[in-house]
Amino acid sequence: MRKINFISIVDDDPITVFGIKKMLCSTVECKTVESHQNGKLALESIKKNLVTKEPLPEIIFLDINMPIMDGWQFLEEFIVLPIAKKVKINIVTSSIDPFDLQQWEFFKNKTHHVITFNNKPIKKDKIAEITKVT
Amino acid sequence: MLERQHVTSTSFLVKQLPTPTLFIDKEYRIVYASDTLVSIFSKENTNIKGVSLFGVFPKLDQTWKSVLEDCLLGKSNPMGTQTHADENNFERCYEWRNAVWYDTNENIIGAIIEIHDVTAAVHSEISLEKSNILLRQQSEISKIGIWEYNVESNTVTWCAMTKTIHEVPLNYTPDIDTAICFYKEGYSRNAISMAVFEAMDKGKPWNIKLQIITDLGDEKWVLTAGKPVYEKGKLARIIGTFQDINDQVVSEMKAKEDAKFLKTLIDNLPLNVFIKDRDCKKILANKSECDFLGVSDPSALLGKTDFDLYPVETAKIATEQDLRVMETLVPILGEETVNIKKDGTETIFLSSKIPLLDGNGDATGLVGISLDITNLKQKEQELRNLIQVTSLQNKKLINFAHIVSHNLRSHSANFSMLLDFLVHEKNEQEKDKIVTMLTQASNNLLETLENLNEVVTLSTNTQAEKERQNLNEKITNIQQNLSGLIHNDKLQIINNVSKDINIRIVPAYLDSILMNFITNGVKYKHPEREPILKFSTEKKENYTVLNIEDNGLGIDLEKYGSKLFGMYKTFHTHRDSRGIGLYITKNQVEAMHGKIEVESKVGTGTKFKVFFK
Repeated sequence: MRKINFISIVDDDPITVFGIKKMLCSTVECKTVESHQNGKLALESIKKNLVTKEPLPEIIFLDINMPIMDGWQFLEEFIVLPIAKKVKINIVTSSIDPFDLQQWEFFKNKTHHVITFNNKPIKKDKIAEITKVT
Repeated sequence: MLERQHVTSTSFLVKQLPTPTLFIDKEYRIVYASDTLVSIFSKENTNIKGVSLFGVFPKLDQTWKSVLEDCLLGKSNPMGTQTHADENNFERCYEWRNAVWYDTNENIIGAIIEIHDVTAAVHSEISLEKSNILLRQQSEISKIGIWEYNVESNTVTWCAMTKTIHEVPLNYTPDIDTAICFYKEGYSRNAISMAVFEAMDKGKPWNIKLQIITDLGDEKWVLTAGKPVYEKGKLARIIGTFQDINDQVVSEMKAKEDAKFLKTLIDNLPLNVFIKDRDCKKILANKSECDFLGVSDPSALLGKTDFDLYPVETAKIATEQDLRVMETLVPILGEETVNIKKDGTETIFLSSKIPLLDGNGDATGLVGISLDITNLKQKEQELRNLIQVTSLQNKKLINFAHIVSHNLRSHSANFSMLLDFLVHEKNEQEKDKIVTMLTQASNNLLETLENLNEVVTLSTNTQAEKERQNLNEKITNIQQNLSGLIHNDKLQIINNVSKDINIRIVPAYLDSILMNFITNGVKYKHPEREPILKFSTEKKENYTVLNIEDNGLGIDLEKYGSKLFGMYKTFHTHRDSRGIGLYITKNQVEAMHGKIEVESKVGTGTKFKVFFK
């Protein structure tokens, strides 16, 4: 089983968080899996880790529609953070709004981080694929 | 001796005759001559006695010899005239007359010749002839004839022109009845009969325009004039003129008809038409223009400039246009102009201004044609508004479709994921956990459907009945309904709405709106202070504005402003945030043709302004 140090899940839906966590358990060995209810909380956590030089997530599962700070607002601030390492950001959404796909294209070309776009429900083999590439 | 005495006295007598007179003997020798004759014909006072007549007057016509011969035979005849230049070299005309000269025994002894200066008579005769010719020509050119009615002999005479006008042969002889009968039956004949009667009865002259039917059956307009002439206090004649004015009258009538036609045309055009002169003064205005300016007759507008008719600003713009058109000769065609009248009414015109040119190509004025397109413009604006509303609604619908799709998809995704787990799960404890989550997912789905249903109801029920209700009372009612919530969270409500404010609203919507603001006031209160919610109103344009001010968390409008009223947008972590309250509030306000505005400062509070029509 692959070993990954740090995975972060950003989603306000507890069921999705539960599902991703459960699938991760059976596909990958991960030391830390943390989850945040919205973009703001996730961003604050990452910023704090940057300051304290603690490890940063290698993989992020990111929902788009969240209160307070949505996925796009999170990305906007995240990509300007001084993070040299490539972080694999996986958008997981039930949105089929073309606007969201445009946004994905926009952010993909703007950063060295890898961003993928996935529709809910996310399947186990998808999780496996995401975690393998890293 | 006696004889000689006699001769001498005769000679002396003749000498003194005032009329130039000659006595000649049978041999044409001059026997006596008056001094008057000698002074006229003789340059020096030479003695002409005994000299032959033809010697003294060498220019005398030889034919006169035979006339004199007849005279000497006892038959006197006129001799005719003879010209002679006087001392000033002025040609004078003399008429010669002769008479037989008898002696006391009735024997012919010679002829007496009298000479009369007829220069003046001849000249006046020539000028009379000239006048006659002129008169005739004038009469032919102007088609003026003359006529005369002799009362005593009851005869009528017409000149050639009068006959020509009547189209009768030149030998035609009219009488008073036939002359009157030439006039067209009806008005013309009655008028002439009356005129003749009044002339004879009261001595009144006439000058009237009438119609005759000529001998050839043509209808003609004539100008007939008559004037009674009295002799010794008694009416003797009526004289008058008779003029053919058919061409003038016909062309005048045609011009009148054309003018009438043109006037009818421009008066009935659904356009404002006017003509202005070089000084921008109106010289013509049609009915539409009069109606537009609120006058019943064009005379109220003629001679006036735009400065007399419109406020200064409007007049200035229009006059500048006028001057430019007349200066450059470039017409303005179909330009949209806004016209403001003195009473403030605004009219939008599609106006054209075309310069009027004189023979030299200079502008003498301009024709203005304006089409009132205010209604059209209004319709256009309405249409534009409608398009805006439609596109807005379309946007809302798409947004709604995405929301529906997103929400249903997220729930179905959860179901499918959880069911997949359940199928593969061996652990009973874990299975229970999954079932609990499935139940939760199902509840979430139900709630989502309820929310969506609420929105759909609102969107489809746009024709909800409006009622006039008292705003203050409404707020108090809701306050009572929510007293539990208000009490628990120690919410202080300050109702500053004046008691006399009534608004037309859909009651259920207003309830929902007020309830939402009150619950929001509680939900998003600042953790460090007790919540206060203030209601007040103001008037703005056509709206009654309800201001709802809280001292809560506030919201960063720069970041979230565009999403504040969006569906499923929440900006604070609160357990009861559904992200639907303000979305529904906004829709309800808009369904009542109102609008909603927001001001907010993070950490201080939020002020919503709800505009009611």
